[in-house]
Amino acid sequence: MYKYIIYLFLSLIILNTSFAKTINKINSRVIQQKADECLTCHFDNESNNNEPAHLFKQDIHFSKGIACAGCHGGDSSKDDMDEAMDKNKGYIGILSKEERYQVCVKCHSDPNKMKSFGSNIPTDQFEKLKGSIHFIKSVNAVTPIADCVTCHSVHNIASVKDPRSKVYPANVPSLCKSCHSNPTFMKQYNPSLPVDQYEKYRTSVHGKQNLKGDAKVAECVSCHGNHDILSVKNSKSPVYPSNVPQLCSTCHSDKNLMDKYKLPHDQYENYKGSIHGEALFVKQDISAPACNDCHGNHGATPPGVESISNVCGTCHAFNAELFAKSPHKKAFDKLKYPECITCHSNHKIVHATDELLGVAKNSKCVQCHKNEPNDKGFMIAAEMKSLFDSLESADKISLDLLKSASQKGMDVSEADYSLKQIKQILIQARTITHLSDIKEFKDKMDEGFIITNKTKQAGLDAIDEFYFRRYGLGIATIIITFLVVLLYIKTKRIDKKK
Amino acid sequence: MKETFNKKIYNALNERFQLDNLVSFLKHKSVPKYRNTIWYYFGGISLLLFIVQVATGILLIMYYKGSEDLAYESIKFINAKVSFGWLIRSIHSWSANLMILAVFVHMFSVYFLKAFRKPRELTWYTGVILLFLSMGFGFSGYLLPWDQLAFFATKVGTDIAGQLPFVGDFLLKLLRGGEDVTGATLSRFFGLHVALLPGVFVVFLSLHLIFIQRQGMSEPEDWKNKKESEKTTIPFFPNFTVHDLLIWLIVINILAILATFFPWELGPKADAFVSAPVGIKPEWYFLFMFQSLKYIPAKVWLIEGELLGILGFGLAGLLWVLVPFWDSKTPKGKRNKIINYVGIFAISFIIIFTILGYLLD
Repeated sequence: MYKYIIYLFLSLIILNTSFAKTINKINSRVIQQKADECLTCHFDNESNNNEPAHLFKQDIHFSKGIACAGCHGGDSSKDDMDEAMDKNKGYIGILSKEERYQVCVKCHSDPNKMKSFGSNIPTDQFEKLKGSIHFIKSVNAVTPIADCVTCHSVHNIASVKDPRSKVYPANVPSLCKSCHSNPTFMKQYNPSLPVDQYEKYRTSVHGKQNLKGDAKVAECVSCHGNHDILSVKNSKSPVYPSNVPQLCSTCHSDKNLMDKYKLPHDQYENYKGSIHGEALFVKQDISAPACNDCHGNHGATPPGVESISNVCGTCHAFNAELFAKSPHKKAFDKLKYPECITCHSNHKIVHATDELLGVAKNSKCVQCHKNEPNDKGFMIAAEMKSLFDSLESADKISLDLLKSASQKGMDVSEADYSLKQIKQILIQARTITHLSDIKEFKDKMDEGFIITNKTKQAGLDAIDEFYFRRYGLGIATIIITFLVVLLYIKTKRIDKKK
Repeated sequence: MKETFNKKIYNALNERFQLDNLVSFLKHKSVPKYRNTIWYYFGGISLLLFIVQVATGILLIMYYKGSEDLAYESIKFINAKVSFGWLIRSIHSWSANLMILAVFVHMFSVYFLKAFRKPRELTWYTGVILLFLSMGFGFSGYLLPWDQLAFFATKVGTDIAGQLPFVGDFLLKLLRGGEDVTGATLSRFFGLHVALLPGVFVVFLSLHLIFIQRQGMSEPEDWKNKKESEKTTIPFFPNFTVHDLLIWLIVINILAILATFFPWELGPKADAFVSAPVGIKPEWYFLFMFQSLKYIPAKVWLIEGELLGILGFGLAGLLWVLVPFWDSKTPKGKRNKIINYVGIFAISFIIIFTILGYLLD
């Protein structure tokens, strides 16, 4: 027991000493601050609160004991202007755009200095900024597009956690807007980049919440990053198409966060297993839809019942167009069923097989249609499925026949080529199912049956031809052998005659 | 009654064309009968296969189109749509290969039986020229289907021709009709295959046959000192002719079996932009040369290895052709063992390197 008390006592002494050292350091700076003659003079000469000396008194650097000379150079302890602004003492006055970020870097890239001010914020901001699109792309190629003060301001810099800060989450959209919503400014760097992101953002759920001061919702830096912002075309950017689902999942898969908004948190897991997720992640097809392709990016909103078919129809245009003409459209509207996702689901869209169609237990049709005399849809669903099965089976028979003929050495490449159209016809027929018109569907399927009949016949003919050749050869061999025997007898006879 | 009818026709023809002279010539023409008589049939087999080539070639040309865009499709059409087109094409391809094989056997049998000796030097020269022309037929005909294998084999083959000193570049461009194997090459090869080579071939074949008919069949070396009564012969007509016919029938049956059971394949269409098929090889009758060139170092002294190989084959071929010149012993009735050793070496070389060519990549 005594041992623990001694340990505790010693720990308290060590902590106290260390704490005392830090307090002393800060105090010495506060003493320095008190002796900041630059600030005293400028403060007295300024007429309002928006002027530098007034602003600086609210600045986080002021609270840490950093004097004006910390950035502008010179000697703040001297009340004589010539002495205070002596260039020999490093006075640089108003910083040029080319060098101003270097003053920030001097401390913010030095972990020891930052520690000496009692700060534990990261010190890699400049390294990150150097690789960002804001730093490398400038019109005059001398100054960066955006540097530290562009976002953090000059004399009234506040902590990112301070709601007064320009980079406080709720203030970020307005900060970015100052450049990104200015077409004249933006077209200097990227004329093709839209300037309506802010407008759209404010229409999004994220933007609306942000406007309410909710610092948890996504704003610009949540998706694009802060110091290390990369072009959307850069595969390392978090907003590069194949990185978007993971980016969104940082918040949308966070159960605690989503519970707060009464939102599900399984979208990312579902998407990963979907046909779209497979195309994006496995096949690396960046044209495959990610979260933003359906929900929008800056204007991200869950598609409403009526807008779902428009969203899906962006890519699946023909299906959407046919569905709009189908009798289902009216029925779905009446029942307020969301169009595409009622049968295909939303985040977990799997490869649509023919099993979705028909009247079997697992088909989608029987969710609404029943085997009743006045239910025409039930009959159509059953007929469509039966035709699909028949064409697929006919295709397989033809394929097997052609394969068999080919293995026998017969040339059936033309029929083989023809049969490849069946795949296309089936795809087209599957699209036509969205119209729910049995006549249109049958016409398309008939095209397929004509091909399967022809190719089946070609396969049978080729196999017949194979046997015809064999029999022909057999007969020819018999005739030749007979002639050979006759000639052999003849040779024996004439040889003997001599 | 029938015999009388035949006789009537014969008499009518005889009256007009003096057939009795021809029959008498054929009856008096004889073929030596001894243990090596079997080799005498290979000339006839080569002739039969040439006739088959001409007949099937004429049928194929009715549908074949010798252009870059249509050649491959026309062969497909012949294979799939033309009645018995597959058979004609297959027989043409098989017969081409068997013909070259028969010509090789014929040449080596003539060589070992020393039938090239005086007075048959010209028969030998025309025969060797006919072999080279047959190989030319094979090389030019191989490209005509315009499939992948044909395209790249021709590329490799013409590349080798381009290695020749002084004339190589000219020869390469002459054969290809430009720097690369293109449609122009196909047109040239088609022209060579169906016009130039057949014309030249027929001239040399006619000379070859005339020489044989005028000089008769070569007799074995050791018959020189035999009396006529001691020589065993068979009449060329009808005995040898009927034997010939019998063998021809067997060859035709072999051709039909090969064409039916192993129809000549057609690969994917030629495409200059795809990479060459792995382990591309020329036709078997060029393979021994192609394979042996691989074993020559890249540089031998100051000469390029491949060039040295080509020159070596050229020189060896020339010596082979000129055997009636440098073989001075045989015409004097002396045994010349060197001839046999050279022949055995040549056959062994061809067989070994052909097998190596097929077994090794």
